[in-house]
Amino acid sequence: MNDEPVLLLDAVGKRFGDVDVLRAVNLEVARGEFLGLIGPNGAGKSTLLRILTGLHQRTNGVCRVFGLDPTQRSLEIRQRCSYLPGETSVYQEMTGAQFLQFAQSFHAASDSARERRLAELFALPLHKRVRSYSAGMKQKLAVLAALSVEADLYLLDEPDRALDATMRMELRAVLVSMREQHKTIVLSSHHLEELSALASRLVFLRKGSFIAASEVADARQRLSRRVRLRLADGAQLPPSARAAQRLGDGSLVIDCDGDPRALLRAIPDVALLAAEVGAERLEDLYGLLYLQGSTPHTEGTLA
Amino acid sequence: MIAQKTFREIRVMALVYTALLFALAAPVIWLWPDIYGDLKGSTLLKNPGFDFLKRIGVGVTDRSEDIAYRNWVAVMLFFRSVNLLGIAASVLLGTALFARERETQTLEFLLSRPVSRGQVLWQKSWPTVLCVLVPIFVVNTSAILLSRSIDMELPFWPLQLANLHGCLFVLAILAFTTFVSARCRVQAHVAFWVGGVVVSQIGIYLIPRLRAYSLFRLSDFDCYGPILAGNLKLPEMFLPWHGSAPSLWLLLGAALFYFLSWRSLRDLEL
Repeated sequence: MNDEPVLLLDAVGKRFGDVDVLRAVNLEVARGEFLGLIGPNGAGKSTLLRILTGLHQRTNGVCRVFGLDPTQRSLEIRQRCSYLPGETSVYQEMTGAQFLQFAQSFHAASDSARERRLAELFALPLHKRVRSYSAGMKQKLAVLAALSVEADLYLLDEPDRALDATMRMELRAVLVSMREQHKTIVLSSHHLEELSALASRLVFLRKGSFIAASEVADARQRLSRRVRLRLADGAQLPPSARAAQRLGDGSLVIDCDGDPRALLRAIPDVALLAAEVGAERLEDLYGLLYLQGSTPHTEGTLA
Repeated sequence: MIAQKTFREIRVMALVYTALLFALAAPVIWLWPDIYGDLKGSTLLKNPGFDFLKRIGVGVTDRSEDIAYRNWVAVMLFFRSVNLLGIAASVLLGTALFARERETQTLEFLLSRPVSRGQVLWQKSWPTVLCVLVPIFVVNTSAILLSRSIDMELPFWPLQLANLHGCLFVLAILAFTTFVSARCRVQAHVAFWVGGVVVSQIGIYLIPRLRAYSLFRLSDFDCYGPILAGNLKLPEMFLPWHGSAPSLWLLLGAALFYFLSWRSLRDLEL
């Protein structure tokens, strides 16, 4: 029973009118796994999470959460889930404390220790009405409500939205402790670098499909041959090299076909001010996967 | 908790609505002795432009002051107050039920909680129904006491039957508003559609040849007058084989729109 995946999606698709928002998505999430869902706006992350909670009906495919079909038995699934919607959903006319109590009243149990910790971290004025909160405070309250509930599965749609860098770090600390408690978490985010540090597995969504593991591996391979260098004034690149990009600080980004060290050897020492080879920056990976575009695949993950 | 939250949101409006109902009811009772004399001398009431106004005119100027007073109450407390304020309260409170939650993006939060959509509808509906209907019973029943202060009598049971009928009319409007609210994304759109239907129904009511097709035909003087006079009793109100059964149609209408609301909410994809 414990080996049964918490989430199982087989060729799940979702169509709104003429638009395929999700296309034949396959996914399996094991108990205790922390899955990071990466993708730009409109990639289908929120739709995927809504299908899991039964808020959306899939158009085709098979979907199981705790072995149950969300179309038929969404209530039982929601009893074991804590879902944070992508849009900040808090009642303006309630106080923060009333909203928390309201949100927790639907669930059998709440984790009071985690609630206290989050409340301290977020330093929310819970006695005040939510309408007096800033956008960031409302999001913190929504996150607090979602994470203070004791659940078997946490579906968090961009919990770091509208949070400043400090708050994101604090939220990360809480999520790390939940990961250590082997909570099953599916979290969608735009912040690739932070999610990469948190999640035990990342999946990349693009135009409703997961990007194949092989494509992600190719992109990483390409990044391993990427050179960033700064040349002295007046110095030129060897004729065989062509800069793919010139950065604001004057650095050049070069994607080498062969060994990047050969390129560096071709530049005289006096002309080379700084060089960095193969540093995998996540924003570069994001750029390769999403900005340059390629054929979508129906399955694949990055371990 | 949803019911508690709903009640907390609408309780102030319910109090204001109760106060307005009372504010409309009290003067027409207290001023009745003077008004009765004025009405009997009015030439306008003897020859109005509409046949239903003629019947009202005849009713409220009856030689028997008791009969005239009951007709006056039927017109002022039911045909006017219940229709006017009951519809206003239904539209104001009903539009907010789901469309406002969609506007403020809290509906996704609510529907993703471990509670069925049928429960969400029920727990949002019954406090609203109570807040709209209880004031009608309370204020109109208080008319019995107010009437004694001017030495007039209102019969208790016919008044309660009139209250029941008025409440069913308001309930049907509220159920219709709830249905539209479950379908619309914006609260203003709900108000537009419900307001449009109500205004067009009033328009139809004012056209003599089309009046029979107006919803307001089920909640006008021709309904409340006979109920308060004791001529339309409970079986005639609800059983078609005993009479026109106006209350039954309102009850069925309310049930139909509640069912449609539930179905809309069940199939709703945000």
